[in-house]
Amino acid sequence: MRELILSDITEMGSGLCVIGLEQVARNEFRSVRPMPPVGYAWPLPFDGQRGSFVQFEPAATSVPCPHVEDQRTHGLAAGADLLGEDELVDLLQHAEMAETSQGLFGCGLYADQLGGNAWVPPDQASRSICGLNYANMRFRVYIDAGKVKLVAMVAMDSGEVLHSLPVVDWTWRQFVTELVRRFTRLPPRKELDALFNRSIRVRVMDGDVHFVRIGLPRPKMDENKCWLMLDSLFPQPDLNWLDDL
Amino acid sequence: MNSPFKFDEAQALEIARTSVASKLSPVPKDDVDLVESGALDSMAWVDTLISIESAAGIADFGNPWTEKRSKSIRVLAEMIREAQRPFTEEASENLSLPSHANGRISIVGWASALGSQKVTAEQIERALGLPPNKIREGAGIDSVCVAADSEDELTLAQRAAEIALEMAEISVDDIDFLVATSATFLGFPSLAASLHSRLLMPESSGALDVGGACVGLIYSLAVARGLLSTRPQGVALVVAAEVHSRRLNGPQVPGEFRGLFGDGACAFVLSSAATAEQNDCVSLHEFVWGCSGTFASSLAIRVSEDAGLKIQFKGEQLAQAAVAQLNRIFGTLENLSGVSRTKVDYFAIHQPNPRVVEILADKAHIPLDRIPLVSKFYGNLGSVTCGASLCEALSSFRRSGDRSRTPLIFMAAVGPGLVWGGAYLN
Repeated sequence: MRELILSDITEMGSGLCVIGLEQVARNEFRSVRPMPPVGYAWPLPFDGQRGSFVQFEPAATSVPCPHVEDQRTHGLAAGADLLGEDELVDLLQHAEMAETSQGLFGCGLYADQLGGNAWVPPDQASRSICGLNYANMRFRVYIDAGKVKLVAMVAMDSGEVLHSLPVVDWTWRQFVTELVRRFTRLPPRKELDALFNRSIRVRVMDGDVHFVRIGLPRPKMDENKCWLMLDSLFPQPDLNWLDDL
Repeated sequence: MNSPFKFDEAQALEIARTSVASKLSPVPKDDVDLVESGALDSMAWVDTLISIESAAGIADFGNPWTEKRSKSIRVLAEMIREAQRPFTEEASENLSLPSHANGRISIVGWASALGSQKVTAEQIERALGLPPNKIREGAGIDSVCVAADSEDELTLAQRAAEIALEMAEISVDDIDFLVATSATFLGFPSLAASLHSRLLMPESSGALDVGGACVGLIYSLAVARGLLSTRPQGVALVVAAEVHSRRLNGPQVPGEFRGLFGDGACAFVLSSAATAEQNDCVSLHEFVWGCSGTFASSLAIRVSEDAGLKIQFKGEQLAQAAVAQLNRIFGTLENLSGVSRTKVDYFAIHQPNPRVVEILADKAHIPLDRIPLVSKFYGNLGSVTCGASLCEALSSFRRSGDRSRTPLIFMAAVGPGLVWGGAYLN
């Protein structure tokens, strides 16, 4: 049996993709993406949360580049122990980390349009998940067919900017869902945008921890691009923030 | 969601196809619903909208998306065309006129952010081995603000800019350009470029740096005012930031020079489209400037070959030249504004140190209480000094509750060169 501490839980289709930290040495961790026996996503409801300790029996796995963290399992067993957010981020700082865009996935980033999301060629990237401490972040809200989607911009300490990162962080997605649920009628996009970039962003930037994990999805068929996405945004949202809005 | 450009049908289709091509190869036919067909997932669709927004200069393109419309290339092209601003005679006239058609480019937000460590005059004197009271009595400085380890030009500038934008209720997305000045931020990317990234400003907004050292803020305001005059409904962010404590700490820097300086930043949001509610904001009027090489040697700072600083500082000569020149600027501003200096509410000026300010007030016959004296408590902040002084003036007037008029403010500064600049605000 192998043990992980769940660090990232992200939306993937109608299920969830999870990543955990496995200790490889004192103060050294690596990311492992435990996958269900079939497919990539764990079905909902999922028995585990960020900071949970989980155990699994590994199964034979093919590891397509750059998803070197993939690990097929026979299932996950969640324990009762739970790490707090600060402790978890502390461990994440001892896993895959980058200070520059080049360091994220071991290759340069490409962007097709000004302000658009960046991508990496799958055969050039050496991993598919990495953490970084950010200097600033902002949200952008999109409304598509009545559904609210969140995109983030992140300023790195190196002075580089990651634009238009889709927020797939499950906790943040649930936070958005709860926010929308509290309105009897969906407010105009500009109001939601202002809400996120004033009240909610202030909470995020007021926190001591400014840390994100950037992930890569699997490339689509016939597309040689892995688009960056925001797997985890720390601090994690607190539903109590909504009470003060 | 108006575009400043004019696209015909073919151009609009090309923009839509190019944006989709960055996500999909081969590009589907123009009428295929990109999401319904499974060609794009919802996040790739959002990124396509962002791409078109950048390419066509259309803010918030397709956001929100009308549910009934197909998500096809053809509909994207139609929407690009629909978003175009009608090019009317009136619009044409507006473009050829100064944007501040009502004659106003206003300061709608302001803030300063100072180094968070306060160091007293006595601590400075002890640390630099200066005679007792040299700083407090000789220069009139009670304390200086010094940047903490976690602070630098960028973090201080970011803090000031965010507070100023919050006051102005303007999003960074609405800034057309950023003008920054700093004498202590060395290297590239420059302060303007670095701050642009740090604030996560849109890639379509500009970032430029202005020199001038202690006059840098006034020059930056002048440049921003000029740029806004070509842009209707424009917004500019003007920022100054200095961290002297890390540049002037070498043993080659004379102690009596080093001890005068503090660290800080200031930011101003300028708008050429101040709304009726913002009519109590002050507007930038005329600027004056010049350079008097006669006193160039009174303060000279050069980076030496070993990357250290070579400083030439003739304090007495510099103070006399500064007082004389600042007084001359007041005279010029009186002529330009048609208002006597006795009627001026505030003098937001560069302050080498409080003693020089006292001498200036005496010589120029202006009451000392009309000069927001920032150097007494924060030290000489370089280009930030007259900005911090202006922030104090604007906040002080706002606190007075007088809504019947706007304050008249004279700004003036001198810097190494001797470069000088001034402006009046009302």
